[in-house]
This record gives sequence, structure tokens and C-alpha cells, in this order.
Amino acid sequence: MIFFLLLHSHVLSLKHRVTSFHGKEVIKPLIFFLIGLVFWTGTFIIFYRVLGYFQSIESLGDFLAAKLLSMVFLVFFSFLIFSNIITSLSTFYLSQDLQLIFSLPLSLSEIFFARLVDTILKSSWMVLVFGLPVFLAYGTIYHVSFFFYGLCLLVFIPFLMIASSVGVIITMTLIHFFPAHRTKDVLFVLSIIFLVFLFLLFRFLKPESLVDPERFASLLDYFAAMRSFSSPALPSFWATECLLPSLQSSYKGSSFFYFLMLWITSLGLLVTGNQVAARLYFHGWSKSQESRRLRLSQSSFFNRTIDVLVWPFSTPTRVMIEKDLKVFFRDTTQWSQLLLLLSLVIVYLYNFKVLPFDKSPIPSFYLQNLFSFLNLGLAGFVLAAIAVRFVFPAVSMEGEAFWIMRTSPFSLKKFLMNKFWMSLIPLVVVAEILTVMTNYFLKATLFMMIFSSITIFFMTFGITSLGVGMGAIYPKFKHTSSAEIPTGFGGLLYMMYAMGLIGLTVVLEARPVYILFTSHAQHTNLPLWFYGELGIALFFIGVINIVALVLPMRYGLKNLSSLEGLG
Amino acid sequence: MIELINLTKKFATLTAVDNLNLKINAGEIFGFLGPNGAGKTTTIKMMVGLLKPTVGKVIIGGRDISKEPLEVKKIIGYIPDRSFLYEKLTAREFLQFVAGIYGFTKKECSDKINSLLRLFGLEEWGDELIESFSHGMRQRLVLSSALIHNPKVIIVDEPVVGLDPKGSRLVKTVFKNLTHAGVTIFLSTHVLEIAEELCDRIAIIQEGKVIALGTMDELQNKVNCKDQGLESLFLRLTGGEEVSESIDALKLPVR
Repeated sequence: MIFFLLLHSHVLSLKHRVTSFHGKEVIKPLIFFLIGLVFWTGTFIIFYRVLGYFQSIESLGDFLAAKLLSMVFLVFFSFLIFSNIITSLSTFYLSQDLQLIFSLPLSLSEIFFARLVDTILKSSWMVLVFGLPVFLAYGTIYHVSFFFYGLCLLVFIPFLMIASSVGVIITMTLIHFFPAHRTKDVLFVLSIIFLVFLFLLFRFLKPESLVDPERFASLLDYFAAMRSFSSPALPSFWATECLLPSLQSSYKGSSFFYFLMLWITSLGLLVTGNQVAARLYFHGWSKSQESRRLRLSQSSFFNRTIDVLVWPFSTPTRVMIEKDLKVFFRDTTQWSQLLLLLSLVIVYLYNFKVLPFDKSPIPSFYLQNLFSFLNLGLAGFVLAAIAVRFVFPAVSMEGEAFWIMRTSPFSLKKFLMNKFWMSLIPLVVVAEILTVMTNYFLKATLFMMIFSSITIFFMTFGITSLGVGMGAIYPKFKHTSSAEIPTGFGGLLYMMYAMGLIGLTVVLEARPVYILFTSHAQHTNLPLWFYGELGIALFFIGVINIVALVLPMRYGLKNLSSLEGLG
Repeated sequence: MIELINLTKKFATLTAVDNLNLKINAGEIFGFLGPNGAGKTTTIKMMVGLLKPTVGKVIIGGRDISKEPLEVKKIIGYIPDRSFLYEKLTAREFLQFVAGIYGFTKKECSDKINSLLRLFGLEEWGDELIESFSHGMRQRLVLSSALIHNPKVIIVDEPVVGLDPKGSRLVKTVFKNLTHAGVTIFLSTHVLEIAEELCDRIAIIQEGKVIALGTMDELQNKVNCKDQGLESLFLRLTGGEEVSESIDALKLPVR
């Protein structure tokens, strides 16, 4: 069939990507594979232990395992629908090869089915890979035969087909009303707002209070809440009902009926999708080719603010800052990332505000200062998480237009330093707000407040330099969205180095700070050797931070200077 | 004004540019022609500092680009074949940015930007985001940006790709006027008509080596095809005449 031929091109590209790895290039996929393996094994162990624990609860165990399975399917289904909407925007509307495909003598149905299979594969492989340990854990705990795994496969095929068809139909309908480029932006922002909302809601519901025995609701309420997870109208419910009888012999259900429901619905949706495509697809695709015009105000408050901000600098530096700020704030994906960052900071600060020191058996003076010290590491981690999103991509954000910088009389060193200062200033502000606010909430001593503020101030230099430098060592100029820049190997390596820097700094400071607090609490004088130890610790902290400041920028500059291509 | 001395670029086992020696005078339009993959873009990228030569030198305005890159870049205007720009800037903001990189303040370049936008037919589009521009409009914008700092040397890779006939005519007129003002233009193109019409001298490059160099007359004399256009000359020199024999291969059975 034609659509196998169309898919074949994707298979070939994948094959070439895999076979082209050699030498050092093997390291990247290997590290990703190992991380995947750790995640995979972790998922298996967690499910195995949870299910094992359920088994130990008499009479309730099977019920809980069944409900967990139903929740897993519901989560998969929601994730798959969303992932299919996003993927199908690319595969059906924005993909470069569509120009060629639409010019070939292919029927719309052939194109539709080829793209649908492409969408299913691209959007579902992750669910399959990470879903497998869940089902393996069920299989191991319930000692099932191979029939169960075969059945899983037969259930997953229509399950994925349903999610994909629904996703694609939603996309085609959306594109009918909005242009494709806009839809992608809007969906991305909406999804992030949705995530932020869920995250904040979850945090403010105080899940920790659930383990408080005084707040245990009645068992009936608990069952009622559990029931709300499954609606018989959803394919996730049908999939659960298909698998349960082969897991639990005591489970009475009409497995075959739901199996048929899954297959009939999936085939029905394929036909429906094809019908919808016949009416909407070509029209929508054609519309997505049209460019959009966006008129921007020239005398806005935003532009005037930028003019004031950049006033003290030389003209070339000024225009670089102006350009970076405009590009940053006009990119909708950056807005959504800013929202995520804001929610992260709010939740972080909120957690410190609600720490119940009054209930603790340990004197709160110790705890407050201990937390204040640990906060250094945590705030560092938050900063690294922010930096990997905003600082690491700074160089790559130039995109394929980087040739302009490289052929201009603006030196690459100046370019990198510009990126460094532009990232450092907002990061220092966030770092100091985080540290001072948390210390305030913790009611830490003035010494701790000043000590953490100074440490985090200098640490931010290292975190920023690592971000800009690593971003220059592993640039991703060919990206479709700024959100994808930190997702590669460089981003991962950056996080590892940044964590190393933060961890080492905190560890080196730990002992002197401990001695200082003990002597303060016991009202004793500090021993003389303490000053020697403090000096050594500060020396090493200085060395580590200077290395983090200098080396990444130097290597980054070297890499950018020797880059070939782009232009 | 431009001197390429023993310029060589190797990519692993492939020699893209092989011991190139050229000298281009001030105020000259120099055509750089060759079939696909001949090494034209690689040469240009070395000239503007995007690639480091394996061997050899690029001297522009008396300075070696590998030794004094910033000084050389100050006097160059580069127009690449593919115009990747900052999509989230408007055309005017982009020109202000480029002018600023060369040290011109917004006030100083405001009039120049307006006249360039007008000249290249982008006046109405000045406050639109570049992401909504067609290929031709982007090319016009790149041309404007290359001229904003009054360069002494313009290096162009395919000047009329994506331009309509009116745009091509405009480019030709602008280039001619610039050379009258003493600007040197190094132009690589596939459009032989442009090379024939504009260039004072032409070099034809194949497999990284210059196989012919001179004025149109000199080249015609060299291959004994007087009164024939650049196309026949080009095909004869680069072996393209064999193309007619290959056309038979295109005669596929019709279904």
C-alpha cells in the first residue's frame, strides 16, 4: 500500500540516524538509554512494591490493584489524546514534507492514513515504553501466563488508535477555525496553564495532611472518591475491564464485550476520521500555508522601557540587549515557561511558609537554621532549573540567524559576555528573592540571612556562566521551539554540572557553619583551628566557583569560533 | 581590494576549495561561477569569516580576515543565499539592529533605514514581523541590511534567488551604482545572464579549482566560441554539454 511507502521514508531516516552513530557520538544515546533504563526500572520497582503492598491487604487488595490499573489507563488516555493533538499539528499541518506529498498523485485517504500511523507512532512510543514496566509488574505480582501480555498488545492497539483518531479529529476541527501556527502557540500556552493550575491546586490541597490520622475520612467516602476515576463511557475503562479477568481469577466481568467495544470504536473512529479529513484536511492545510500579518506598536510602553534599560550601554551592546529582549518576549513559548517558573517559585516559598516548626520535638532554633542552610542547596537547584530553561538556550536562541553575528564586527567574546550579563542580572534578583524570603519565613538568624545571600550571590555567577557556556558548547541552532533547546544532551549535562557545583559548595560550607552554630548554642568560644578550616573551605569554594565561571565560557567561545556552517 | 592566496578548504577527505588564487580590484564586479558543489559557497564562507581555511589567506582591504576578523567585517556587506533572520523582529527593528551592531544609533540611521526600505519596496512592511515575510521579501531585507553601513566590499551568494523580475532589475541597478561609488562586489551566481550583464571579470570554478578567469572577451577567446553567450561558454568549460546525451535517461515509460 502507498501509505507503507510513505512511512518507509521515516523508517529509513531513523535507520540512517541510528547507523550513523560512531565513536564519541554513541555516548549521547547511551546516556539517554541508561537514564531511560533507570526510569523504566524505577517504575517497575515502584509498581511492584505498591501492588505487593496491596496484595497484603486482605479483601481490599484486588480492588485497589484494579482501581490503580483503571487510573493508569485513564492517565495514559488523557496523555495520549493531548500528545496526539500536538503531534498531529506537526505531522498533518506543519511538516515540511507535506508540500511534496500533496503534489504527488495520492488520494486524501492515503495521505490521511499514512499520517495517522505516523502520528500514532510518534505520539505513543513513549507511553508504550514506560507503560510496559507497569504491566510487567502486574503480570509478575499476579503470576500470569503469556496470554496476559498477548492480550495487553491486542488491547493497546485499538486503545492507541482511538486516542490518535480522537486527537487528529480535534486537531482538524481546530485548524478549521484557527490557522495552524496560531493553534500550536495557543495549545502550548493552554497546556502549560493547565499544568500550572494542576500543580498549584495539588500543592494547596496539602496532600501531606492526608497522612494526618485526625483527618481520615470514612471508608465509604474513600471508595466514592476512587469510583470517580472510572466512567464506563471511556476507552480507559474498557481496556481495564478487558485485562482484569485475566489478572484476577475472582474478577467477574465481560472481558470479551469490552474487547469488542475497543476494536469496533477504534475502527469506527478511523472511518469517522477519514470522513472528517475528506471535508476539512486539505482546506485546513492550505490555510496553514498562508502567512499571517501582525502589526506591532512602535511606541509602546514596552519599547520605551527597553530604551531606558539599555541607555547606559554602547550602541552595539544596546541593540543586542534590545533584540534579545524583544525576541524573548514575543515568543509565546517563553511566556508559558515564565508561568511555570512563577508557579515553581510560589510553591517553593509557600512550602517554607507552612513548615510546622511548632510541632517539632527538636528545638526550632536548630531546625530553622538547618533549613535555612539546606535552603541554599534547594534554592541553587531551583536556580539551575530556571537557568536550564532560560540561560542555557541563550546562545541557541539566535537560531539559524547566527550567521548575522558571525559575519558582523561584534566579537564572539563580547556576544557571550552580553548573554552572560543579560542572564545573570535577572537570575541574581530571583536568587536573592528566594533566599531572603525563605529566610524571612524561617525566621532564621541575621547571620544565616547574610551568609546565604552572599553564597547564593556568588553561586549564581557560576550557574549562569555554566548555562551560557554549556549552551555555546552544545548549541541547537536548528530548533522549532525554544522549549526544545534544553531537552537534549547539553541540557542534561548542564543540570549535572550545576548540581555538582551547588552540591560541592553546600558540602564545603556545611562543617564550618555547623561548628559556628554549635558554639553559638553552647555559648562557647570558637576554637582556633576553626578559622583555619573555614579558610580552607572558603578557598576551595572560591576555586570551584571560579572554575565554573571561567572554563565553560572559555570552551563555549572556542566552540562557537570553530563552528562551521550557518550561513 | 580582495586577495585570495592559496586558499584551500578540506572537509575530511573532500577538498572543496583547492589552492585558489584571485585578486579583485576596487570598484570591480567580480563574477564567481561554477556548477553545484564546485566550492563557491565554501569560498564565500571563508571570505566572510564563517569558515576557517585549511590553508591560505583571505585579504580584504589590506587585512587578513583570520588575523583581524573584526576590522575586515566592518567593511564587508554579506548577502547569503539563504536568508535566515530574526523572525520575531520587524523589518525596521532588524535594520536598526544591524546598524547598531556597526555602531550607528537609531537617530543616525533612521533616514538611511527609511530610504532602504523604500528602495527595496518594503516600506509598507517595515513594522511587520519578519516571520510573515515571503522568501523574496526576506532577500530584499538582507540586501538592505548589507548596505546599511556603507560597506566597501559586498560579498553576495546568489543575489537574485527568490526575487521577482522587478527585484532582479533593482539589484542590478543598485550594484552598478555602488561600483561607480568605488564599492567592490564579489558575486557568486547561477544566473548567467546577471553575470554576463554585470561582471567586469568572471572566474569559473570546478571541483574547487579555477578553470577559467578573465573578461567575457578573454573567456570567449580562450574556448574559441566568439559571439556566443556565457551559457555556451560555461557549459563547454564545465562539461555540461554532455547534458543532452543524458536527457534520454529521462524518457521514462508513461503510465
